[in-house]
Order: sequence, then C-alpha cells, then structure tokens
Amino acid sequence: MADAALRPDLSLVLERITDGFFALDAHWRISYMNAQARKLLHARAECIGEFWLDVFPKARGRLFEREYHRAMRDQRPVQFVEYSATAELWLEVKAYPSLDGLSVYFRDVTSRIEAQREVERTTWRQQALIDFGRAALAGATFEQTLLDAIELLREILDANVVDLYHYDRNTGTFAVTHSMGWESGASLELAQPPLEHIASVVRTGEPFVCSDLRIDPRARSLAQLERSGVLSCVTTLIGTLAAPLGAIVAYQSQTRTFSVADVRFVQSLSQSIAEFSSALESNRLMSEVLESIHDSFVAVDADLRITYVNGRMARYWGQTPAEIIGTPMTAYAEHFDAPDGRVMQLFKEAQRERRSLTFEQHFRGRWYEVRLYPFGSGVACYVRDVTARRNEQERVLELNAELEQRVGERTTQLELANKELESFSYSVSHDLRAPLRAIDGFSQALLEDYGDGLDRRGKGYLHRVRRAAQRMADLIDALLQLSKVARAPMAFAQIDLGMLAGAVASELSESDALRAVDLVIEPGLGARGEPHLMQIVLANLLGNAWKFTRHTENPQVYVGKNSEGEFYVRDNGAGFEMSYAGKLFGAFARLHSADEYEGTGIGLATVARIIHRHGGSIRAEGAVGAGATFYFTLPG
Amino acid sequence: MGKPYILLIEDNADDVDLTIRAFEKNHIANEVVVMRDGAQACGFLFDSQRAHTTGWPALILLDLNLPKVSGLEVLQRVRAYEETRLLPTVILTSSKQEEDLLHGYRFGVNSYVRKPVDFNEFVEAVRQVGLYWLVLNEPPPAAGGGGM
Repeated sequence: MADAALRPDLSLVLERITDGFFALDAHWRISYMNAQARKLLHARAECIGEFWLDVFPKARGRLFEREYHRAMRDQRPVQFVEYSATAELWLEVKAYPSLDGLSVYFRDVTSRIEAQREVERTTWRQQALIDFGRAALAGATFEQTLLDAIELLREILDANVVDLYHYDRNTGTFAVTHSMGWESGASLELAQPPLEHIASVVRTGEPFVCSDLRIDPRARSLAQLERSGVLSCVTTLIGTLAAPLGAIVAYQSQTRTFSVADVRFVQSLSQSIAEFSSALESNRLMSEVLESIHDSFVAVDADLRITYVNGRMARYWGQTPAEIIGTPMTAYAEHFDAPDGRVMQLFKEAQRERRSLTFEQHFRGRWYEVRLYPFGSGVACYVRDVTARRNEQERVLELNAELEQRVGERTTQLELANKELESFSYSVSHDLRAPLRAIDGFSQALLEDYGDGLDRRGKGYLHRVRRAAQRMADLIDALLQLSKVARAPMAFAQIDLGMLAGAVASELSESDALRAVDLVIEPGLGARGEPHLMQIVLANLLGNAWKFTRHTENPQVYVGKNSEGEFYVRDNGAGFEMSYAGKLFGAFARLHSADEYEGTGIGLATVARIIHRHGGSIRAEGAVGAGATFYFTLPG
Repeated sequence: MGKPYILLIEDNADDVDLTIRAFEKNHIANEVVVMRDGAQACGFLFDSQRAHTTGWPALILLDLNLPKVSGLEVLQRVRAYEETRLLPTVILTSSKQEEDLLHGYRFGVNSYVRKPVDFNEFVEAVRQVGLYWLVLNEPPPAAGGGGM
C-alpha cells in the first residue's frame, strides 16, 4: 500500500470514493490520504510521510491506535465505530492490513449514531419514567420518590444541579425542599427571590427553558448563578396552575440547547410526582377516614385478595395491616366466618353480582353487622359490632312480650274484678232488698193485724221503721247507679244538652205538676258526650235545682254556657255554704237534713263521676239562700 | 182441686209469707203452691204422676235468684217442655238488672215485676198481677183449668 501513490489509476479511484481513506506504511507513516480524509480529519496535504500519531495526536491511546495495531499484529482486517476527537465525528472504520502497511477506510456515521442514541435515550427515559411511577405505586415513600426523581434528572438529563420547590398553599410561596449538586452554600443564594424561572412557570404553567442564563433577558437575576457553576436550566411546574404543588429546576454547568424530549422528560417527571402526591393525599385521607371509623374495614380485589385492611380489623385478626394486605380473604375466614362459610359466600355474591349487601352475623357469641359494597372490581367490607344493639332489641322484645303478658294478666284480673263487682251489685240489688221488704212488709202486717193493740206512739215507731227501710232501698238503688256509671261503656256522640235538659225538665214538671218553675235553656248547647250518662247528669242537676227551689218564691232555673266554655245549671234556691263546696261531690255527702230536702247524697257523686269519665271537670258555686250554680266541662 | 192454683217459686220465707199475704189482702183465693228452690220446682212441674193428679198451675210466679237451679233455668225448661210452654209465667224478683230483664224476656217470660220494698206497693203489684193473669187474661186452651 505504501506504493499506492505510484499508481495513479488507483489514486484516481481513491480520490473519487466518498469514504475517507488513508494508508500507513510498515513504519506507521502516512503514505497516502485522499481529499475526503483530509477534509474530515482536518489534515494538511503535507502530512504525507509523517508518523500518523504526530498527525492525529488525539488518537493516541484510543480505540483507533489499539485496533490498528491489532490488525497489523494479527494481519486481519478490523472494523469498528468510534467517536473521533480529531474529526469531532462518529466514524465507522475499516482497516485492512498487509505486510507493507495498513489501508484505512472510514465514513461519517454521526447522524446515524446520534439517531440511534436518541432512540436509546428516549427508551431509557421512558423506562425510567415507568420505573419511577411503578416505584411510587409500590408504596415507596414520597421522600424516596423525590430523591429518585432527582437521581433520574441527574442521570438522564445530565443535570449537574437539581432543586425541588414546595408550594406552601397557606403563604402562597415556593421554598426549596431538596437541593442537589450545588457547591456548598451556593443554593442558599438561590432561596432568595426573585426567582424568575419559578415565577415564570407559576405564571404560565409552561416550562421555563434557558440555554444560557448569562444572556437570557427573561432571567437577569439568574445570571449570577454562573458563579455557582450553572449556565442553563429547565424549570417545570409540579401540579397545575390552579393547584400548584411545587417546581423542579434542573441546571446544567454548560450552555445547552435542551431538546423537546429533554423538556418533555422533566415535565413527565413533574406529572408523575404530582400524581403520586395526589394519590398519596387521597390515600392519606382515605386511610385517615378508614382508621378513624368505628367499623372494621377490609377491601378485596376481584380475586378476593385483601388490598386494604384498617387497624381495627387487623388488630382483631391479630396481625398488622402490612402482614394482611396481599393475602387472600379466605385465609382469615376463621376470624370472621360462620362454620357454613356464609360470609365468604356473600362476599362472592356481592363481588359477582355487583350489589351491596347488608346482613347481621353471629360469630363467637357476638353479633356483627356486615356491609358489603362492590367497588371497582373488588368489594369493600365494613363490620360493626352490634351485640349491644341486638341485646337491647332482644330486651325490648322481651319487655314487650312481658308487658303484653302483664297487660293480659291485668285485663283478666280486671275482667274478673268487674265480674265480681257485677255479681256484687247484683246481690246488692237483689239480696239486700229482700230483708228490707220483709222489714217493711211485716211492719205493715203488724200495723194492720195488731194495730188496735198499739197506741199512737207505737204505730209511729212502726211507721219510722218502714220509712227507714224505704230510705235504705233508695240508697241501694242510688249506689247501684253510681257503680253502673263508673263501668258503663262510653259511646260518644254529638248531643244537644239543651234538648236533654228540656226532656228532663218536662218529666220533673209532670211529676210535680203543682209547682211552676221558670226554666230558661240557652240555645246552642251542643257537646260531645255519652248521651245516656249525660242524661243522668242533667236529671240529677235539674232534679236538685227543682228540689232546692221548693221553698223559693218564683223559682228559676237557668241552663247555659259561659264565656269560658263551661256548661252550667243555676237555680235561685236554698244554695249552700261555699266552705262546704268541696264536700258536695262525695258519696253520701249531704248539706241538708233529710227532713228538709230528701235525697240519697249520691246524686252529685254520680254526676262528678260521669263528668270525670268524659275527661271534664265540675265545680259548684253558691251561697246560703242565694241559689247554687254547677259548672262542668266536656272536652270531648 | 177447685180453683186453679198458683205456683210460687221463691226461696225467701219472708217473701213467701208477704206474697201470700198480698194475695189474701187482694182477695185472691187461688191455692198457692210454694216451691223453695229451682230443683224442687222442676221436680214438681215435670213429674208426670203429679201432673195427672193436680194438673197445671194457672200462673207461675218465679223468683230469679234461687238455690240449685236458677229461676231463668226453670223458665227455660218450662218453655222447652211441650205441655208447660204456654203457662203464664211472671218473674217476681228484687233484681232490676238489665241482664235479668233481657234474659227473662228472651226466654219467653210473660211479665217481669220487680218487688217493691214498700209493702203497700207490693200488695198493689200482686193485686194487678193476680187480677190480670187470673181474671182478665184468657188462658191458652191446653194450659187452662186444672183437674186434667
């Protein structure tokens, strides 16, 4: 090959090929170099005959030197791709040895290599981002995630310095939380505003990219960073304009035109951090909620594998959440399920049919309310101990049953008592009267058959015996009525007290036709009451009015209703002393002697009892010789 | 027997005497046959041998509150038995319980008279009952005079 120059035809060919070519003789001197080689390698034409490493000193010790020597030693061709510092290009080199020397062909493959490297870098970045996201999901701490991000920026973006800023929502300011790569103390300067790159990303939401901080008019204050050894940067916002979380700044020590891919990489990293942060936040909120509730909680995925368990449930199962998460739900069946596996069945049902289920389960002597909610492809399960409530319920049921039984017993007792009372009043009416009849009858027989043997006084005594028997018979009848009104069933109806009073009054007038009583009945005395019982009330009150006006001139009786809604019966008869008003309504209470005004003393007691059975009240007003008024109410 | 007799079913001796006295005072001369409880009354009424000799009473006066067999039961049996079911029967009692009245009429009593305590009133009541049932009222053919 050293003779190549001697062969002009060959030389012509070599000059024409697009590859660079040079030849070395056996003493490693350049014997030939074509124009392309000279151009690519910036070599002078006079270099022919010079030792090759004197011409290309930068090749010394590099792959070029090693490969060429290997080729000569082995006498075999070599081929390689290497960056040539001389050419500042990537070169693909083929060298063919002979005993005379070495022929070297090379071509510029820089664009191919760059493209290849770009693909590699992109793939690498994507993989890095995926790995980063995966690490975050796998439960890495946020702090670890941030450190990973910084490491990635340094590794993949060749960033010399990385700052992470945290946005404080309360103060609305950014502050550095992580700072890597500064010469000691340099980052402190940075903490001082104005931080134009931060301000920019916060204002626009777009990345701030600067290839030379010294000359960028947008970031004059950042020019001083040259002193700290940084010249270019990429700054991106973490989070959104509406809800910023922080910012990333990646600096480089050289001026650098960041590619779209570079910027996108930083943006992707920011986004991953933001997503991780919000996931953490919602996780934190969720777990705060789930840990604070009084329910035990467990969540399973589609395969009934536990994805979350709160502390309460974990304690109950005797393990830590970390130990439980990831294991199949069935592994803990003994801690919650009935022997027939009912709970697990219902889990599967909720999972399969995507519907909520709520049920109560008895387990080891306690009652639990279990609520199953399908979510995503899994099931969330809340468990609450409702033993106390169940016990309460059962107690209430028991009490109710007991109460009912007691009511039943009382009712039976009451019915019995009523029956007894019934037969008592029967015997009162029947048996007590028989002896009275005998007393009266035989007194009369005595008067009739043996009256001649008695003087006036004796006959008088027998008459008094008879009168007493009569009176007792009346008393018995009155008592019977009193007991009857207390027990009579109440059949309420709309009644006209005026009409009832009119009917009673006409009976009274008939029975005492010699007397003329001036009776006034107000219109509009409608009320709700038991008609039969109210008739007894009016019969008694009007009967009294009739009786106690017996010695009154121009006797007057007034039936009406006052402004307070009280009905009243007023007479201008004998009246009574107000201090005895309270005694009027007791059984056998009498304010007058039987000689003056006959009566059993039970009439008003009967009236009061009837009014009370209506839920009303009764009172009396009067004065001796000035008449009496009886007021009563009927709330029905 | 001459005049048709009255069957008085009454356990109280005083009442028996007073009732008989009331009849006498009203000049009702019919013989009064007294039964002191319900069982005795039924034995008397439904003994075929006796019915053959004494015949049926012209009037039954029946107290309600009787030992052994109650007045209402006697009434029911009188009304259930073909030969006695048309006999004029009057309840003469102290009770004026609604229930007794209702049952009495439901079981087919002809009258219900409450014995007044006042003997004069009692005499008057007996007079009216006797007058009505023994004099004014035409008895049903089968239950009429005795001596069958």
